[in-house]
Amino acid sequence: MAVRTETASLRRPSPALRWVRENLFNNWYNSVLTVIFGALFIWVGFSLLRWVFFRAEWEIVRVNLTLFMVGRFPRDELARIWVSNYMIVGAIGLMAGAATASAAAAAKEAGLPFVQSKLQDLIQRFWPVLLLVAALLQFSRTWTPTIMTVGMVVIGVAARFAGLHLPRVIRRYAWVLVALLLIGAYGALVWFGGFGWDDWGGLHLTLFVTVAGIILAFPLGLLFALGRRSTLPLVRLLSVTYIEFIRGVPLITLLLMGAFALKFLLPPGMDLSLVSRLVVAIMLFTAAYVAENVRGGLQAVPKGQTEAGQALGLPAWKVMRLIVLPQALRAVIPAMVGQFISLFKDTSLLVVVGVFELLAVSSIANNQPEFLGKGLAEVTLPFVAVIYWVGAYTMSRESRRLEKKLGVGER
Amino acid sequence: MIKRLLLLVVVLAMVATACGGDGAEEESTTTTAADGGSQVAAEGILKTVQDRGVLNCGVNQEVFGFGFVDADGNFVGFDIDYCKAVAAAVLGDADAVEYKALTAQQRFTALQSGEIDVLIRNTTWTATRDGGEGATFLTTTFYDGQGMMVNSDSGYTTLEDMANTTVCVQSGTTTELNLAARFESGGIPFTALTFDSNDELRPAFVAGQCDGWTSDKSQLAAFRSQNPPADGGPEAWTILDETFSKEPLGPLVRDGDSQWAQVVDWVVYATIQAEEFGLDSGNINSYSGDNAEIKRFLGQPNEEGTIFDPGLGLPTDFAVMVIDAVGNYEEIYNRNVGPDTALGLARGVNDLWTRGGLLYAPPYR
Repeated sequence: MAVRTETASLRRPSPALRWVRENLFNNWYNSVLTVIFGALFIWVGFSLLRWVFFRAEWEIVRVNLTLFMVGRFPRDELARIWVSNYMIVGAIGLMAGAATASAAAAAKEAGLPFVQSKLQDLIQRFWPVLLLVAALLQFSRTWTPTIMTVGMVVIGVAARFAGLHLPRVIRRYAWVLVALLLIGAYGALVWFGGFGWDDWGGLHLTLFVTVAGIILAFPLGLLFALGRRSTLPLVRLLSVTYIEFIRGVPLITLLLMGAFALKFLLPPGMDLSLVSRLVVAIMLFTAAYVAENVRGGLQAVPKGQTEAGQALGLPAWKVMRLIVLPQALRAVIPAMVGQFISLFKDTSLLVVVGVFELLAVSSIANNQPEFLGKGLAEVTLPFVAVIYWVGAYTMSRESRRLEKKLGVGER
Repeated sequence: MIKRLLLLVVVLAMVATACGGDGAEEESTTTTAADGGSQVAAEGILKTVQDRGVLNCGVNQEVFGFGFVDADGNFVGFDIDYCKAVAAAVLGDADAVEYKALTAQQRFTALQSGEIDVLIRNTTWTATRDGGEGATFLTTTFYDGQGMMVNSDSGYTTLEDMANTTVCVQSGTTTELNLAARFESGGIPFTALTFDSNDELRPAFVAGQCDGWTSDKSQLAAFRSQNPPADGGPEAWTILDETFSKEPLGPLVRDGDSQWAQVVDWVVYATIQAEEFGLDSGNINSYSGDNAEIKRFLGQPNEEGTIFDPGLGLPTDFAVMVIDAVGNYEEIYNRNVGPDTALGLARGVNDLWTRGGLLYAPPYR
């Protein structure tokens, strides 16, 4: 019996083996190349794994994990950050649940089949984030973060369930609830004797600056894009001047201006904190690029669309809002996400003006007595880089998913 | 065509008025800013700080021993202790400090714009900075100087031995200029290899890309004492005796408020004077001797029952609060940079004048 199966497998090689033979070893030089590159690949992979698991001294990250995550946020007030995170997770869960329920209802009405996303889809979508969270928890020296993270998952799932089963009347106003939760998340950090932006730091601050930058820059950029296509010469002139001026200036100069010059231009009573001045600089910078991206999208929409709208007797703003903008924005998703990814990475430039963001923690940790002069930047810099990569890669994948869903490039 | 031209004219006119409006607005803001500034000056930074209840202190967050951040997010260091000392004297609470981490380029702007009340950020006192940056340098708290570190087995004992060598140095610093000045005046040919920071410089020195590493001696001592055994440990490196630059480091305040400058000055003097008197954080609260000078210093009543008040604008017992909070100069030194720390610096010139050092406090009477 055993002999027979063996001969059978010898006679008919498995499809994988056949693929290898046909593609990697189909002639002598391909075989040589395969062996050389295979060996190289294995050696690099082996060295990397050996470094990560045995050689690298992760103690510096372990000790400073809180510093990497939240910077100088007072340690006896960390509960505020967890409460804030809980609210954000709750808001996201609620939003996801409500959106799924609406989509299901819409599909049912249209008589189309609706496939609900499964847990394994979520894992497939967010595996880099999950891996990063697992790695971070492994670095933690107490159980509190793990327990809190489990709590976060529970709240997220519960909120999604609630969103899914909200009565239809309330579901329409779910966005109010979501907005309240997000405001509450901000308030948990700031209200009741809380802390200003300058006391935040680490990954927390990096994410906050990114999100704030995107949320503020998008509408402003949209306005400038519309302004640039306006028929009023003055509006057009102002928009073009703004866009071309900002695009002609490096981000770092805007940041330096935000850090040094803005203070002298503000009225004495108005005391903007350093981080908020820098967020303003980032917003102004990104808005100019967003405007150009959106303009590209606007120009891609055929003129017939506008004319059709006009023929229907729609007012100009309705033509824009209902017909042109949806098509234009859909067309520029890849460019827009690219812009936001670069905004995310550009927040690391804040290190130049002394802000306590993620990258700054790396050099700060290397100046602590127990780590000074040991060349441990080789550990902290890859650690920070991986965090940036996870963020950027996740954004990129989500944008690709959105493109597929909206059918960009198909219609 | 005419319509277009007309439109162009209108647009240009509008832009011109817009610009003019901007200009006028800017002018008015600057005047109000100046008004605000003079108002602050008239009222005094001391009063402002006391009303606010918090001292805004400009510090460094990346120099071990002087100003850095520990894993719990607290600022620690020699300079930080002086921020605490000023807060203890002015507000009676050493923790009432808002630390503002500043880069080297930011520090003077932050001082001028009033973002910080005092700058204690390992800043070298030079004439240009004193004259041109709108800042007043106060009593030096730490006398540093540039030195040269070499491999112990290289055999170099003086800078003159180092002819035709490569020296690693931080770019764009006074250190780089001092190096060139010293070697050129000694007629010693050399090559400079520059780096952005000492962190980046270190691997090059370890790898033997350069024969010498020049920086402030306190920094060299820190890197030397932290050299891991894998690279030979501290003994593998030697710091040459010669110091070829003067780097007096101390607090700075904004120009134009002499009362505030006096306050910060006397806080520094109090730490020095306390060491001279033999007072430290352990015994200052329980002093019951009858040395008239010490009683005056501590704000205790003399035989007639009067308490000495020099009119500095500080509480009469400010010295007690300062020493109680951060200790005398010796305690501050030993805690942050002394022989038992990673920096492992001997007192050297940073010793009392009575022991041949440079620390000298004017009499408190």
